[in-house]
Amino acid sequence: MVHTLGIRHHGPGSARNVKAFLEATKPDIVLVEGPPEADAILQWSNHTELKPPVAILIYQSDNLQHSVFYPFAEFSPEWQAIQYAYEHHIPVRFMDMPVAHVFALRQEETVHEHQENPVGWLAEAAGYTNTDKWWEQMFEHRTGNEQVFEAVSEAMHTVREMAPPDKDPNEPLREAWMRKIIRQAQKEMYTEIAVICGAWHVPALTTMPSQKEDNDLLKGLPKVKTECTWIPWTYDRLSFYSGYGAGIHSPGWYEHIWQFPHDDGTQWMAKVARLFREKQMDTSVAHIIEAVRLAQSLAALRERHRPGLEELNEATLSVLCNGESVLMKLIHDELIVSNKIGGVPFDIPKPPLQADIERLQKKLRLPTTADWKDYVLDLRKENDLERSIFLHRLQLLDLNWAEKVDVSGKGTFKEQWRLQWDPAFIIDIIDKGVWGNTVETAAAAYVKHMATSASSLQVLCTLLENALPAELPQAAAVLIQQVSNLSAATGDVIQLMEVIPPLVSISRYGNVRKTDAELVTDIAVGMITRICISLPGACTGIADEAAQTLLQLFLQMNNTVNILQQPDITSQWQQTLHKIAASNSTSPILAGYSTRLLADYKLFSSEQLVQAFYSAMSAAILPNIAAAWLEGFLKGSGTLLLIDADLWRVVNDWVHQLDENNFIQVLPLLRRTFAGFSTPERRKLGEKVKHGDSKTPTSQPENIIADERAAKGLPVIMQLLGYKNTDV
Amino acid sequence: MSQVLRGHAEQLYAQELEELKKQDSGKVPANWKLTPQSAVTYLVGGKLKNGFEVTPKYIGSRRLMEIAVATLTTDRALLLYGLPGTAKSWVSEHLAAAISGDSTMIIQGTAGTSEESIRYGWNYARLLAEGPSENAIVETPVMRAMKDGKIVRIEELTRIGADVQDTLITILSEKMLPIPELNKEVQAIRGFNVIATANNRDKGVNDLSSALKRRFNTVILPVPDTIEEEIDIVKRRVESFEKVMEVPAEAPALHEIRRIVTILRELRNGVTLDGKTKLKVPSGTLSTAEAISVVNSGLSMAGYFGDGRLTAEDMAAGIIGAVIKDPVQDKIVWLEYLETVVKTREDWKDIYRACRNMM
Repeated sequence: MVHTLGIRHHGPGSARNVKAFLEATKPDIVLVEGPPEADAILQWSNHTELKPPVAILIYQSDNLQHSVFYPFAEFSPEWQAIQYAYEHHIPVRFMDMPVAHVFALRQEETVHEHQENPVGWLAEAAGYTNTDKWWEQMFEHRTGNEQVFEAVSEAMHTVREMAPPDKDPNEPLREAWMRKIIRQAQKEMYTEIAVICGAWHVPALTTMPSQKEDNDLLKGLPKVKTECTWIPWTYDRLSFYSGYGAGIHSPGWYEHIWQFPHDDGTQWMAKVARLFREKQMDTSVAHIIEAVRLAQSLAALRERHRPGLEELNEATLSVLCNGESVLMKLIHDELIVSNKIGGVPFDIPKPPLQADIERLQKKLRLPTTADWKDYVLDLRKENDLERSIFLHRLQLLDLNWAEKVDVSGKGTFKEQWRLQWDPAFIIDIIDKGVWGNTVETAAAAYVKHMATSASSLQVLCTLLENALPAELPQAAAVLIQQVSNLSAATGDVIQLMEVIPPLVSISRYGNVRKTDAELVTDIAVGMITRICISLPGACTGIADEAAQTLLQLFLQMNNTVNILQQPDITSQWQQTLHKIAASNSTSPILAGYSTRLLADYKLFSSEQLVQAFYSAMSAAILPNIAAAWLEGFLKGSGTLLLIDADLWRVVNDWVHQLDENNFIQVLPLLRRTFAGFSTPERRKLGEKVKHGDSKTPTSQPENIIADERAAKGLPVIMQLLGYKNTDV
Repeated sequence: MSQVLRGHAEQLYAQELEELKKQDSGKVPANWKLTPQSAVTYLVGGKLKNGFEVTPKYIGSRRLMEIAVATLTTDRALLLYGLPGTAKSWVSEHLAAAISGDSTMIIQGTAGTSEESIRYGWNYARLLAEGPSENAIVETPVMRAMKDGKIVRIEELTRIGADVQDTLITILSEKMLPIPELNKEVQAIRGFNVIATANNRDKGVNDLSSALKRRFNTVILPVPDTIEEEIDIVKRRVESFEKVMEVPAEAPALHEIRRIVTILRELRNGVTLDGKTKLKVPSGTLSTAEAISVVNSGLSMAGYFGDGRLTAEDMAAGIIGAVIKDPVQDKIVWLEYLETVVKTREDWKDIYRACRNMM
């Protein structure tokens, strides 16, 4: 005899009813709606380490775009049926159409729009606005379960008679396949067959058409190759639409009613109260009592035998939250959905890359969690360094489990990561499996692939920046080679200048990470040489806006050269600046800035500086050009002007010697330049002008050093320098 | 027509209450006039089994009314909370009418509300003549409601001073009112409960102590969700106003109501209905109640000074009065709205002109 049990996927009431029914009827085989491909891995389902929520992942071997998840929670009727079968040593089989066919069919046609839920009509007829709520009230929250499956079957028969034919062409195929599996079980002489399927399919499985009809329907279905495995799942993800169509919105609540089927709201409210107290909100026992009472009266008012989630939420809102709905978000996240994550046995067959990731996660003690967690790594420690390398490698593989966050405080030995696991990462991991079997090899191969296909220097340098901390020397070597090739080929000096700072920062600070920075330094030096050659040409005849961007790059370049501290590079750079400053065709703002930089290097005598300044600002020069030059010359140096006596004198004297007419002419230029300084800078400049040179900060007081007091600090300084306990 | 300016809810809707009572089949809590289900039906409206139509008193979420009624069946008091003009007092009056058949037990909370007006006072002539006795006690609505097992309403609870508010604690938790002078007490009869209202916009109100807060279940009444809901509310209330006030004007066209509600709603939300233009928000609350009063005053204007038809001119003064509560800030807001939104709407020319003439 075939018992067809219509259920709702992930319905705790259905799960309870299924369990009770199976225990009462003692079938000799259980057929469950699900992908037959997964029959082989069903043996794992009673493994002690397989902890729901878990999901069966099925993917097309050669096209990972096609993948599907069949999630199970503890309160899923399918899960309970499988568990029953294994506990009682009877066979259990999946009976849906194989995913291999579904994928193959999907390739051939477009996606069909989903038709409206016919069960909604029943709910509407019963006076409910929400289908789920009606179903819950009718079938899930029921504690007595006599004949509930008969009722479901009857209801569905009626609905399907009324419903228009399903638009999804796969539906008849799926049901034909289910019937096929049932017939097969019958042929194998099983007598008590329990069939667990979505309520909607019940009528199609109880009234069997002829076998030939079904076979004709299923003849010649296209097929693709698929793989399947168990993966951990989260409650959060249960609410998504995948595999078993219907997502559920309140997995945490479902688990609660699965565990406490007779709860009158007390246990739930106690959970709420505990959560509130954890979050430092005063919640008394009296609050819980009142909330439970209100929930019960609400249920009575709505003529329900027991408060559901709706009533409990309303009671919580009214009694515990004083009507403010802000806190309900907390309850929703922590209790109603809850961030539970499942687990699968370590030795389950899985793609090698995934196995390697899991091995490393275990070794480095970086567990996967549904909620995010922050790690601060101290790279001077062995374990933390390994963790950092591991996370960097995953990042290179585009697995977004870990996100690097800016760490507060100084020092290059600290890193902060935020980790949050999403079961869907598995599919990315499998996707990246083609690149290698371990994280290291896969990351290296993937980076190499990216390096050879990249066409912009910036992309390459970002990759390099990420690859170095991931300790992938081979990949880094390829990247460096690629950077060097591209930089030789590129005629765009601006692009080169953009990538220089990150490169130099790698070579300068790379030593904390023990990476070999020599290579990078070589490249950087080579690139700077190239820049120095072509930069003067790039500074001529350009628009104002382009000059402004270039000015920023000048600033960075100059800093970079100073960081490198290589004499030949510095002198190269200075020569370039000379050329730029001297050329008449250089964009004036850049010429001005170059002059200033040279003055900063003290390469101009004060007379030369005065000369350069006066000639640039002479009356023959067009005002707008002079203004631009001055802007470049004084770029960002309000404070410098205050402190540098030479610079001050040059500008001050120049203003002094202007006659009234000229002064009025240049006034707008000066205003424009000085407007760029900050307010306190301008105020101080004004003060300095007012009080004249006599009170400039350059006039230092006489050197009076209190020798006795200075000597007191010496021991500490010696200690800091590493001379311990030595007499001074 | 009775001479009373405004009848109590239980008088105006006596027939509905009567019909509901006749149809009632469930269990009626002690000293209630209706079952909780019927009380909810009375508030949100519906059709009875015999086809009798109950008009909706509260237009909005049925669930809120269910929470409110369910609260009153427990021993917790009900606190209706929300912006001014969100029908808090209206709901509390009808709840009292439906449950106790009597909405007259009411204390208006003010800064000057004293303990005597909540617990009991003394008739001093009697007190001097006879000494302390029950005859010398002046009962308050609270005391009467306790004795009769009825609902007492406290309006604007948060305006009452904190020390006076706290006299409610014993009444709410022990359900009794001690009279130490007589060494006696009044014990509440079943059916007694308190509905308090409070608004969360006003400054300078006295927050409830947490001890008192604990004794209330809070229901926040929101501003209407959709414009249709709001128009419906305004329409119904205006109709009942016409009936009571006997204004000699025609019923206002739906589109006039829609325009008023649109204006107030857009200004309240700070964005036009199509979501395209951001607006400044005036200082007033611009609740549904204000929309009702704008239409009502417009109707009176039309009826007594105009030709009986509601025109833009009749309503302009009302709108301006509702929007401009602060003569400086709100005026800018309103002018901006007039020029940027009202002026651009093709069929709103009459309102624009009428409002411009007034400014």
